[in-house]
Amino acid sequence: MKQTPDIKPTATALLVAPAAILMFGVFVLPFLFLVVLSFWSQVPGSVGIVPGFTLANYARIIGDGYYLGGLWTTLWLSGLVTLLCLVLALPLARWIYAKRSKGLLIGLCILPLVCGALLPTLGLVNLLSPLGFINGALKSMGLIKTSLPLLGNIAGVSIGLVQAFLPLMILPLISTIERIPHDYEKAAMSLGATRLVVWRRVLLPLMLPGIVAGSLLVFCASLTAFVTPQILGQGKVVTFASLAYQQAAMVLDWPFASALGMVMLLFLALAGLLGALVSRGLGRRT
Amino acid sequence: MKRIACYAALTAVSLFPCLPALAQDYSGRTLVVGTWGGDIERLLREHVAGPLETKTGAKVEFLLGGSGDRMSKMVAERNNPTMDVTFQNIYEAPAALKEGLVVAPDAALVPTAANVWAGMNDGCYAMSLVGLGIAYSKALFPEAPEWADLWKAEFKGKMAYAPYPSSEGDGMLAVAARIAGVNEHDPDAAFAKLAELGAPVLSYSSLDEVFTLMDAGEIAAAPMISGYVLSNLGNYEGIGFVFPKDPGPVLVRDMVCQVANSPEPELAQMFIDLALSVETQTAYAKELNFGPTNSKVELTEEEAGRVINTPEEVASLLQLDWSYVIEQRSDWTDRWNKQILGQ
Repeated sequence: MKQTPDIKPTATALLVAPAAILMFGVFVLPFLFLVVLSFWSQVPGSVGIVPGFTLANYARIIGDGYYLGGLWTTLWLSGLVTLLCLVLALPLARWIYAKRSKGLLIGLCILPLVCGALLPTLGLVNLLSPLGFINGALKSMGLIKTSLPLLGNIAGVSIGLVQAFLPLMILPLISTIERIPHDYEKAAMSLGATRLVVWRRVLLPLMLPGIVAGSLLVFCASLTAFVTPQILGQGKVVTFASLAYQQAAMVLDWPFASALGMVMLLFLALAGLLGALVSRGLGRRT
Repeated sequence: MKRIACYAALTAVSLFPCLPALAQDYSGRTLVVGTWGGDIERLLREHVAGPLETKTGAKVEFLLGGSGDRMSKMVAERNNPTMDVTFQNIYEAPAALKEGLVVAPDAALVPTAANVWAGMNDGCYAMSLVGLGIAYSKALFPEAPEWADLWKAEFKGKMAYAPYPSSEGDGMLAVAARIAGVNEHDPDAAFAKLAELGAPVLSYSSLDEVFTLMDAGEIAAAPMISGYVLSNLGNYEGIGFVFPKDPGPVLVRDMVCQVANSPEPELAQMFIDLALSVETQTAYAKELNFGPTNSKVELTEEEAGRVINTPEEVASLLQLDWSYVIEQRSDWTDRWNKQILGQ
């Protein structure tokens, strides 16, 4: 058997260096600056920054119910979107997996990711607005008399986020389901299991790694989403990302915006840690 | 002969400083201009960027977005700016000058600035004059409303606002303060009075979004800047716009600034000079209903009726203590989020 030649450490360093330098310059350094900035403060009524250590920005977040409320809304909205994506993606992934045109269907699933957030979200405004397609259709069928509030609330933002991040759930599920032999489902059914039991006792346990990966991706993406909550929330759904944007780009209080960003990163890290622990637990079990 | 040679030499020496400017070729160089998209960008391309490119051989590149984004950019690039010219609003310009982010207006650098109405080049060069009035649904207001009419019970919860902080939001707070018998220096009264209008139907991200709903009567009214509304009224039969009288409309001014230490200061000054020219300012007034700041602009009676364009008209407008308002920016944003949006 032909063996791969060993790569010398110098060559390895040279190969890794460009990416490492790039990551250090465009990610690590700005990230460190963000950490430091979050402990500085803004000169009141100015864009000037006082570079002295203070915990005031974090105290403001913890001590103000408005920001804690925004954090809580963001967390449970992200949880809701993750759950909705999971419920929709499980049967969809199974259906796509069994189709001959699997490649085409996966391509269609990825489309929202390729389009970016802005265009699909603006399209949703036309669908969901009081004068939009959905309300118009329901009114013309005589099912409703006044428009359903589908924008400027959690319902509208959830619809937008599910539409945007569903592919992040479908793709890991398909990759997991592909590894499950067809025979397992047939064997279970030959022993009298119903379709529901096959899902509950065979497919779902075997798909757990994909469920964990997909849930983690959707949760983190929802937690940091800005464009969709901003447009579909119409200023009435307060998320942490929109608060950070308001402070950074409109109030120009960068230290406070950095502290908001750090809190968001903390929850991203916690979600990642939880995902890693669950994955490790699943690995041990199998 | 000796004397003639001497005069010739003196003339050559005295002209010498002008020679580089006359002979300067800016080919291969790029002027970066930050401004708003849409009609403003179109007019600037047509009346300012195009002629400047033809005259100098330089390329003009536009960065489109909100003025807050441009303030952020100037702060972030304070030591190494990449933007040469930026369009800011009335309250950002003095703050930008105070922070050393822009070059102070100077008619020696931008000759047309001498024609701008006296006292208007505050922080940067005054580009256009607009007022904050009321855009309203004709179905809900058969007659043009005054500010106080917005507080009638039937319109509670039927307003729309621009995202805060903004000139529109600050202007509306100042109006609410005056309806309450005080001014913007009493924010408790201002926020309490504005909160009586109820939570808005929406904080709009585009004019089409709010106009469509207002046209259908789903939104009763919105405090809006005259130029944008008047330019769009033709598309929406069910929407009217009025400059109220008690108090008068709030003065809002767009400013054009030369970014401090920018890569192309000479091109930036030439761009601003063209932006303030009679031709560009006339186009702004005719096509966008933005009042000219250049005192040499002459408009027809009909055109002048649609814009704010004289110091006398400006004096009749409500003028805010912007330096005080800016100092309250962080606190008022929190209060807006909680007391106005979070009801």
